[in-house]
Amino acid sequence: MLRNYFKSAIRNLVKNKLYSIINIIGLSVSLAASILLLLWVWDELNFDKMHSKGDRIFRTAAAMGSTKDRVWEHTSAPLAIFGKEELPEIEDACRIQEYNNFLLFTYRDKKFNEKATYVDPNIFTLFSFELLEGNPKKPFTDNRSIILNETLAKKYFGSEPAIGKLLQIKNGDSYKVTGIMKDMPSNSSLQYDLLLPFDILAENRQHNPLNSDWGNFDYQTYFLLRPGASPERVGKQLAVIHRRNQPSDFFKDLIYLLQPLEKMHLYDVLGHEQGMRQVKIFLLVAFVILLIACINYVNLVTARSSRRSREVSVRKVVGANKSHLFWQFLTESSVIFLLSIIIAIALIFIFMPLYNDLSGKQMIFSLFDAKVWFLFGCTMIVILGAAGIYPALMLSKFNPALALKGILPGLGKNNGFRRLLVIIQFSCSIVLIISTLIIGRQLTYIRTADLGYTKESVFTFSAFNFTKNYEAIRDELQRQPGVLGVTTASQSVMNLMSSTGDFNWDGKPANMSNFIINQLSIDRNFPEVMDMKLVDGKGFTGTAADSAHFIINETALKQTGLQNPVGKTVTFHDQPGTIVGVVKDFHFKDMKTRIEPCILFINPYWGWNTIYIKTSGKEAQAALNSVEKLWKQYNADYEFNYKFMDDSFDEMYRSDIRSGKLFNLFASIAILLSCLGLFGLVTFTAETKVKEIGIRKTLGASVNQIILLISKDFLRLVGVSFLVAFPLAWWMMSKWLENYVYRTNIHAWVFIVAGLTAFIIAAITVCGQALKAAQSNPVKSLRSE
Amino acid sequence: MIKITELQKYYRTEEVETVALNSLSIDVQKGEFVAVMGPSGCGKSTLLNIIGLLDDLDEGSYKFNDIEVAKFNERKRSDLRKHNIGFVFQSFNLIDELTVFENVELPLIYTKVPAAERKKRVEEVLEKVQIMHRRNHFPQQLSGGQQQRVAVARAVVNNPKLILADEPTGNLDSNNGNEVMQLLTELNDQGTTIVMVTHSEHDARYSDRIIRMLDGQVVMTTVG
Ligand SMILES: Nc1ncnc2c1ncn2[C@@H]1O[C@H](COP(=O)(O)OP(=O)(O)OP(=O)(O)O)[C@@H](O)[C@H]1O
Ligand SMILES: [Mg+2]
Repeated sequence: MLRNYFKSAIRNLVKNKLYSIINIIGLSVSLAASILLLLWVWDELNFDKMHSKGDRIFRTAAAMGSTKDRVWEHTSAPLAIFGKEELPEIEDACRIQEYNNFLLFTYRDKKFNEKATYVDPNIFTLFSFELLEGNPKKPFTDNRSIILNETLAKKYFGSEPAIGKLLQIKNGDSYKVTGIMKDMPSNSSLQYDLLLPFDILAENRQHNPLNSDWGNFDYQTYFLLRPGASPERVGKQLAVIHRRNQPSDFFKDLIYLLQPLEKMHLYDVLGHEQGMRQVKIFLLVAFVILLIACINYVNLVTARSSRRSREVSVRKVVGANKSHLFWQFLTESSVIFLLSIIIAIALIFIFMPLYNDLSGKQMIFSLFDAKVWFLFGCTMIVILGAAGIYPALMLSKFNPALALKGILPGLGKNNGFRRLLVIIQFSCSIVLIISTLIIGRQLTYIRTADLGYTKESVFTFSAFNFTKNYEAIRDELQRQPGVLGVTTASQSVMNLMSSTGDFNWDGKPANMSNFIINQLSIDRNFPEVMDMKLVDGKGFTGTAADSAHFIINETALKQTGLQNPVGKTVTFHDQPGTIVGVVKDFHFKDMKTRIEPCILFINPYWGWNTIYIKTSGKEAQAALNSVEKLWKQYNADYEFNYKFMDDSFDEMYRSDIRSGKLFNLFASIAILLSCLGLFGLVTFTAETKVKEIGIRKTLGASVNQIILLISKDFLRLVGVSFLVAFPLAWWMMSKWLENYVYRTNIHAWVFIVAGLTAFIIAAITVCGQALKAAQSNPVKSLRSE
Repeated sequence: MIKITELQKYYRTEEVETVALNSLSIDVQKGEFVAVMGPSGCGKSTLLNIIGLLDDLDEGSYKFNDIEVAKFNERKRSDLRKHNIGFVFQSFNLIDELTVFENVELPLIYTKVPAAERKKRVEEVLEKVQIMHRRNHFPQQLSGGQQQRVAVARAVVNNPKLILADEPTGNLDSNNGNEVMQLLTELNDQGTTIVMVTHSEHDARYSDRIIRMLDGQVVMTTVG
């Protein structure tokens, strides 16, 4: 019996090639696409899940103010020590400091710049990072120990054993390799290649010992809590400890927030969704893609099942009962589904490398992966349930005497259910088109927004030895061909990571005692070179007096409430100084963050570590060449690693840009799938109307009239879909845009363009088929019935 | 074998209710060959469908081999049908996707006859209707007469006790028509009961008895 089911299933597939192909392409593409999406979602959801004690590890963030609107994810160094000692809920604590500048390491003739990270020695017991060689309980033997990851070990020592080897750094110190760790997995938020003992940071600090320096919030602290401990309570108690050790008005409403390590990647410190939104969007898109494919399948099968009524009746007449027919139809669906799975698997394997590239991940597709089969299983149940069982039941139920005459209850040509499905499908597509447009616009908005300074044709690099004789070198750089301006700052102006509460002015209200201001030490020509606009004051003068001059931004002015700020005296880090200008607000953090108060000041001792060179598009290469030549003179040991600000900027939004691209890709797939379904349905309608068309043509109907006959119904459905899709899309995209503080508006034209696009695509699909039917020879079409 | 009394059958559409069969009673004995005649629309096909359990009746009684089947549910009907009744239609109604052999084999599959036995029986009947040489062809590759012979073969392969034929020669020329009538007569001679709807007085002469209908009622019975 089964063999017979298979035989007739395969015959049917072969006989109706077009429908089989439409169904199989639709299903396999959608299966492949949704599995790719789910792999992405899975990867995101599994970020930082590799730690066996992960559910008890928390990162500590400090927050100020009752609204907790100012949060920073660093703490002072003693917090970990005091917390662990005093709070029984804390089992262990690990501090990490990412050292932002490069260190030059030398082994024999190999020299490389590396970013080092200082960590407490319990990093391998608190976290589950794998130490391949060395003692995980005591990875550093002393303060001149170093741990490398496999990649670095290979880079320096090739195939030689690395343990015990000495790496030299610039100041003459040498570090002994005491451990080799596995490269940190790509779905870990913590990404370090080279570890040094945290205690190094405590060296030479007799006057201000590290472990009693409560004011310097420069270290990440991870706490391992005991099972059942409440992170909120621990956070509050940590704040109590802090205030006891550093009684200052500034910290009066300091609070520590313990963020679960496993949520670090997708949520912010306060638990608001960050990456999670994207995860949800992608999950939704995967669902929509599957939905569309299922709808296609159900529509085509039910539409065609009315055509098969005769076959089914005949089978009934010669003795088939309900269950025979039921299983026959189910077998057909299963055959299609199996073929689709095979093709989907092939597609996934083919596109996996490309997809990893596009998404910047290292996802692995495996047939031994339970979740892949879970997804296959779910789709199969939906497909077989809706598309197999529904028509199977319909077809096996009807009265064969009527069916032989072509009268079918419920499966007639004007099936309401099928129309509903088409509307759902097209609404999804239109929503996707609108979303694509708005997401694209937002990304463009960000990238073209006025940052308040120029990022075009400016490149930056770390100063290294250039800091030593900065003034002279600046002038020399200035003279190089292609260089239009040279300036420096302590940090990247695009992602400023330094702030302080040490900012006071006369009449500072008591409730502003914990006012925090971002700080950037710059060369005096910085505003001018970077095209920043002063809205008040003349700025730095270029004289020695500048060391006591400050420029604040508009937001700082607004928040402090200073009147006539220029000429006012303020104290900054306990040094009095004068405000000499107010700079127009500029974006020194990403667009998801509202602009905060900021102060610009001149102090070379803050480390003018980043050099900015302005050039022009045409002269960029010349400028680069000449700067590099100079670099080699002063920084022979270091690679010349420059970066154009445009690129750094794009890098900041890399994950947004990537998600945007992925979204576009998958939205297009969904839209194409809907069209494929529509195409199938229209082809089918045209086919069932062959006789009608033939008769009408013999009676004198024109081609246009016939196209209208076939198309009008479908195009009307597409029209109804607009009404469903527009409000839905508007609502969804408004929510999405809320993610961004600085965002584009949803313009009416987006809807018009999306509507037109959907309509034109649908019209081409529908009318193309209709035209073909209308142009066919009426004699032929009449004979075919 | 068939005893129908006071049968009523209505067709209801939104506007009108048609009385297709009106207090109709007939008897068919085992081994009889009965022809049903009458003008178009008088209810012949409706009657045949009811006899064949393809359609419900609204009122009256229908006894098949002394069992009341009027209230049978779908499963019982299909059981009764597949073991006892074969159908031949005017428009052949072969399944296009299946070969001649497979079309004829179909009833045997649904009655769970083992494969070897199926092959034997299908070949036997194909031999009988002289279409064996075309066993692997698809219906569209055959002439009308050949298709109807296949349909007859399919109707008899299960050795049904009753064959219902609705204008079996309606789509055939007289040569092909006579061949099909010949086949039916042979089957009847071997003991199969046959009820055949026809418009042709010539075909009707093959039967033992002619039932003439008008407006859903039997108006006359002539014994041939
Ligand atoms: N599905 C249906 N819905 C409504 N009325 C129907 C239906 N099928 C048949 N009828 C009506 O029932 C009556 C009997 O139809 P039936 O098909 O039995 O006639 P017939 O005697 O077989 O005619 P013909 O010789 O033309 O085949 C006709 O009046 C017909 O209009
Ligand atoms: Mg009839």
